[in-house]
Amino acid sequence: MLLELDNVTLLYGRIQALHGISLTVDEGEIVALIGANGAGKTTTMRAISGLRPVASGSIRFNGEDITRLRADLRVVRGLCQSPEGRGVFPGMSVLDNLDMGAYTRKDRAGIAADLERVLTLFPRLKERAKQAGGTLSGGEQQMLAVGRALMSRPKLLLLDEPSMGLAPMLIQQIFDIITEINQQGTTILLVEQNAQQALSRAHRGYVLETGNIVRSGTGTELLHDPAVKEAYLGVA
Amino acid sequence: MTTTADTPQTPEATAPSQGKPGGGLRGRLDSLPKPVRWAVLALLVAGAYLLPYAADVPVLGPQLVTEGIDWASALFNVSYFVLLALGLNVVVGFAGLLDLGYVGFYAVGAYTVALLASGDSVFGTKWTWLATIPIAIAIALFSGLILGWPTLRLRGDYLAIVTLGFAEIIRITADSTPDFLRGDQGFTGIPHPPGTFSDGTPVFGVRDATPYFWLGVTIIIIVVLALRNLERSRVGRSWLAIREDEEAAEVMGVRTVKYKLWAFAIGACVGGLGGVLFAGQNGFVNSAMFQLQLSILVLAGVVMGGSGNMAGAILGGALISYIPDRLRGTQILDRDAYEYRYLLFGVIIILIMIFRPQGLIPSRRRALELKDRAREVAPQ
Repeated sequence: MLLELDNVTLLYGRIQALHGISLTVDEGEIVALIGANGAGKTTTMRAISGLRPVASGSIRFNGEDITRLRADLRVVRGLCQSPEGRGVFPGMSVLDNLDMGAYTRKDRAGIAADLERVLTLFPRLKERAKQAGGTLSGGEQQMLAVGRALMSRPKLLLLDEPSMGLAPMLIQQIFDIITEINQQGTTILLVEQNAQQALSRAHRGYVLETGNIVRSGTGTELLHDPAVKEAYLGVA
Repeated sequence: MTTTADTPQTPEATAPSQGKPGGGLRGRLDSLPKPVRWAVLALLVAGAYLLPYAADVPVLGPQLVTEGIDWASALFNVSYFVLLALGLNVVVGFAGLLDLGYVGFYAVGAYTVALLASGDSVFGTKWTWLATIPIAIAIALFSGLILGWPTLRLRGDYLAIVTLGFAEIIRITADSTPDFLRGDQGFTGIPHPPGTFSDGTPVFGVRDATPYFWLGVTIIIIVVLALRNLERSRVGRSWLAIREDEEAAEVMGVRTVKYKLWAFAIGACVGGLGGVLFAGQNGFVNSAMFQLQLSILVLAGVVMGGSGNMAGAILGGALISYIPDRLRGTQILDRDAYEYRYLLFGVIIILIMIFRPQGLIPSRRRALELKDRAREVAPQ
């Protein structure tokens, strides 16, 4: 097991945002976490990446308890997040943004190789290499955010709403790339509102409702679950 | 952002040359061949050292020189304001943290000199000015760390309020400890820097502030070189990432608290150095010199000049000192024009915020960040 959350709770002030989340991600998987707005998807991500301290429960990564580990050290351990709303550095060029992804690394040769790989994966970023992040279109910024996360050569890539605000054609393209990244050997935990796409691409999925996991199963199982269909796929 | 997200959102996206970061004045300067760039810089530095003789320049000179205060003193004032602006620019410009109490560090520097060197001090050590410098810098740095450690978890406005409180604590402590920091009464007889001319008169005396100005310029050059190296190092890169998007920086593995603390401590050092320089020239330090308005004024200078850009901070720092001094001696409505300085800067700041929010010498990068932030606040 690469990642294991055991009964994780998290508070925002007095408001409990997560009521005991337990989930696992195995090496090589794509796992999707779906749910409506405010269900706690992004909060779960923030707990895993260390942006927000958990109140109780434990998080284990690659056999190590990281529940109280600082966010920057989690990146060193191989956990990297592409934050919600893309979070590219607006004043840095595309290349500088990608370079920031390799912030914790020192192996120059490895970084250069990964840069080549990311630019092959996203030819659009190569065209825009010298342009500032803030001047890219929404789709390009999303590619940059994913590419930047890859530059840390993560064992587990956390993607928060990679399809948010994108045109349908681009959503397709982003998910194709996510599948490709996974096939190249990176484990992925994906948070999505676009349940259809996420579940059809994922090996397994969890459904989150008001801070609780209410359902889990393989992607196909959840896609055909009547309750999931009604609530998230817009099919009666 | 809507489903049309793949269409470019800004005109820059269609004109890639404009989208390049780091443009502005520096971009223009960088595009010149290296020898030309060095020549321009050398000329600027030489020009700075020659400023005390500006009055001898025909036509333009007399316009430039201040009337209500002797020109050398006005220039010296410019030099320590520039130093303060450079230090505050590390905190506000490089790391993007709003500090409203920057004068606190300036006070720490000045009081350290006073306590160690003045005959009025309870310590009675009576050190020379030079000997107090390392201690003053160390204590300023330490005070930066002390203030930063508990407060840097706060963001934006909250941090600003706490820093504002810090500067007031120092001033009020000074006011309420008549024996230790001596409030209004202050410290007299703070020694000048060392050195005598061949005829035995001291280089740094009360009669002529010109040597002090040269000393100030020299310190500024050293500080600029040091900050430039820092800005281009891993530290500078971390600051930039924090300023542009703190959360994204954190998930990239930047230890944000550490680097924010660095910015605070380095800014504090430079501010403390400004205090040391001021105490040495003025010979007298009291609590009335560290009013809140001074913090606001320096911040106004940094923002006016171009936050995040050292050339901008230098220009802004110089203007906030030079403009009021130049106005001295001119009467407006039966008052010395100098007394209208805060009104004047209020108006200038409003105008700049409307017409040139990135400052007089902006960094192009900063302009992009402002645009990005505006978009976050008001999504299309």
